[in-house]
Amino acid sequence: MILRSLPLIGAMFLCACQNMPETYAPPVQRKPLENFRPYRASRLINMADGDTDSRIVRDISHHADGTWRWTGQRPAVRLPEGSNKDARYVIDFTVPGATFSQTGPVTLSFYVNDHLLDRIQYTSPGPRHFEKAVPAEWLQDGKEAIVGAEIDKMYVAKDDDVRLGFILSAIGFKQE
Amino acid sequence: MALLGAALTSAACYACGALLIDRLKVKLRRPERWPLAFVLGAACLHLAVFAILTLHIAYWPVLVALLLGVIGAAVKTGSWRLSGEPSEPLPGTLQLLCVVAFGLFTILYFFHALAPENSPDGSSYHLAFVAQALRARGFERITTNMYAALSAGIEMLFVPAFAIGKHSAGALVHFAFLVALALAMFAYGRRLGKPWTGAVAAFLVYASPVVGVAGSSAYVDAGTAAVVFCVLFWLEIWDEHRNDKMLIPIGLLIGFSFAAKYTAVVIALYAVGFVVWRARSLRPIIALSAWASLMALPWLLKNWIIFQNPVAPFANQIFRNPYFHISEIDGWAAYLRTYDLPTFSTLPLEVTVRGARTQGLIGPVFLALPIALLSLRFRAGRRVLVAGLIMLAPYIANIGTRFLIPALPFFGFALALAPGDAPGLLMTLMLFHAATSWPSGMQHYAAPGAWRLDRVLFKEALRIVPEDRYLREATPAYGLAKMIDQYVPKGERVLSLTDVFQAYETRPVLVDYEAAFNNLLADILNTGWVASYQPRVLEQYRFAERGVRRLRLEQRSLARPQEQWSVHELRLFHQDTEVPRLPEWRLAASPNPWDVQLAFDNSPATRWRTWDRATPGDYLQLDLGHEQPVDEIRVERSYDYIGLQIEVKTFDEASGRWVKIADQAKVSEVRPDPNIRRYATRELEARGVRYVLVPDSFPGAFDFRADPEGWGLALVAVDFGARLYRVVD
Repeated sequence: MILRSLPLIGAMFLCACQNMPETYAPPVQRKPLENFRPYRASRLINMADGDTDSRIVRDISHHADGTWRWTGQRPAVRLPEGSNKDARYVIDFTVPGATFSQTGPVTLSFYVNDHLLDRIQYTSPGPRHFEKAVPAEWLQDGKEAIVGAEIDKMYVAKDDDVRLGFILSAIGFKQE
Repeated sequence: MALLGAALTSAACYACGALLIDRLKVKLRRPERWPLAFVLGAACLHLAVFAILTLHIAYWPVLVALLLGVIGAAVKTGSWRLSGEPSEPLPGTLQLLCVVAFGLFTILYFFHALAPENSPDGSSYHLAFVAQALRARGFERITTNMYAALSAGIEMLFVPAFAIGKHSAGALVHFAFLVALALAMFAYGRRLGKPWTGAVAAFLVYASPVVGVAGSSAYVDAGTAAVVFCVLFWLEIWDEHRNDKMLIPIGLLIGFSFAAKYTAVVIALYAVGFVVWRARSLRPIIALSAWASLMALPWLLKNWIIFQNPVAPFANQIFRNPYFHISEIDGWAAYLRTYDLPTFSTLPLEVTVRGARTQGLIGPVFLALPIALLSLRFRAGRRVLVAGLIMLAPYIANIGTRFLIPALPFFGFALALAPGDAPGLLMTLMLFHAATSWPSGMQHYAAPGAWRLDRVLFKEALRIVPEDRYLREATPAYGLAKMIDQYVPKGERVLSLTDVFQAYETRPVLVDYEAAFNNLLADILNTGWVASYQPRVLEQYRFAERGVRRLRLEQRSLARPQEQWSVHELRLFHQDTEVPRLPEWRLAASPNPWDVQLAFDNSPATRWRTWDRATPGDYLQLDLGHEQPVDEIRVERSYDYIGLQIEVKTFDEASGRWVKIADQAKVSEVRPDPNIRRYATRELEARGVRYVLVPDSFPGAFDFRADPEGWGLALVAVDFGARLYRVVD
């Protein structure tokens, strides 16, 4: 009985193999897009982003829930691969009043792949935005880049000696 | 309501099994009647629910009527009574130990099962399909989720429970299977005259951390273990009585084991071998096969009809179909064989003690498993070890700890049998296992992140902590589901690059890895930002002008594993002018013939891929309908494969053979269209997908959020570590 039914079972299974389609006609041809604004590359690391931890190179607190993070003295992040053309260094940060009252005016230096882009002194606390074009030769086309900043004076908490730099919201490149 | 749904379903399972047992006039002992009847009844009831879903009449009154009808019939006929020959009374120490040890773990599990369901697979697909089937009043043709192709025997029992009590009811039904398994093991020991062995064996399995967490979630593993252990139990009873009617429950349970989980069907090897060996005859195989088919065939046929593959999502090399890509299923299966473990030498410690990589732990007591070999001196020990080894065989295909569960009852029994009649030793084993498996005990050795229970969820189970709040805090997959329901209009499909608790939302979610269509959508999207996926290579095959009607591009080399052949566009030229593509052209490809049009659609964001390792003989082919002068073929392709040997061939009508006309191409680099991202989202839209969920952890997430407008996307919502985008019209 079992042996007799084997050919039938085999034939049933072979039927399943016969489901290959016939041929197809060419599909509707896609037309080129017109009047569409080209993609603008931007390699900006927002501190609120879920993957920010994986971008941190040094001196930025991990696992923060909000839109900002405390830095140490020389915060830096690793930007994903991108073009070396028309990049503008962008950083949004805050010099907090609480730390400023101890440190007084602070000077921040801004770096791209260890090249000093600029150095600016901030004589009052508050939110700041800095933006400046990056020379193309500082970047490798299609490669990652390390961007960062350095504060000259650190705040030191009296109770537990915790050392704080400034509050970072976003850092990276804008590219048109 | 969750309790009511689970209680009614469980009662109906018992009632159904009790009716069948009494109908077969099988005499069981009292302690074994409930578990054996419950599991057997579950098998029968699953078939009834399958029929209801097939007929598209899954209204809750129909399901409740089914449950009440079965219970009513059992009560009316007297089958409901827990009849049977009583077993010998248990020793007082054992009774006390069992009440305390089983009682504590039962509290832990019960409240976990009653708490809002948030298990990864339970809420992502086991219950998601149940919820979807109930919304549709029956089975829907789901071809965009490989999990929908797996047999779902246990989930059929979640259906009536869910209809009454929603998600937690499903988890509670599965918990009932776990209780049935423990009771069956205990009863099996008592049948052997070894109550201590039965109790300790049952506890080794019941308290095992991975069994506890899976068994009190809407999973199917504990249920599967209960089914296969009951096969062994029924075989013992058959062997004792040699009543051929008992082959019916054995056959049904073999079939149900397949319905519960494909791999569990290997218990058939043990059952057939045992019956043939003991009966010295092949005749029982016919009865076993017939009854097993009753349970298994509906699932095979369902897949055959929907996927053209009875064992989908596997064996796609044999049963070719457009729903699952060989490379993706192979890649998934390859991961399951290793879980990225650096070396298998760590596997024993991983599955017993650590539990992080392989997602759970069975408990350190199982490190003593070699001692189980001592049980070979008993007949029962030899039998459970053989059955256990057979059930362990499929484990090599998936080394997740959870996949040990179907074999665990047999090894647990052998381990408890090994010391012989030594209550002191067995009690020590039990207490050690209890201490190391209790949440506070596990904290001392289990790896952080191991899948396990960490406390008794009183407040959550009683909804003192609101369900929504608990789930939002417990896992982002729930929050994402709610986000989708909130922001995506009804009927709109969402391409998701991460798992979502689909049991808690109602929109069709296409998770990128779960089916061929989803793979294609993800490939299109990735072509937008992954340079190596973009058409950056132009191959020009030039040859003397000739009249061509049928033309083929054939791949002649064996690619590296995982390496595929792909073509974005294939164009014909004559005197530097492209031959226009005409409706009478006929296109074909092998493998993956279903996507051949992607190489002829003029879109830089789409490509035909083999979706399998490139092998000699793969081809793209076109029939122009009539002879057409051609002197050049241009192939636009990506550079994510190298070294493949391509030949251009025409069909020679005279000889009936394909003849090579070119195999050397001029290769040049080209820049893709700067709007390639927008082309990608346009292709998604053309396929009816207007929403994309991108987790921040996705490697390309940065590219999307840097300039959504440049992608043709609008940001809809940001939360739970992901962004929801809508394709702009």
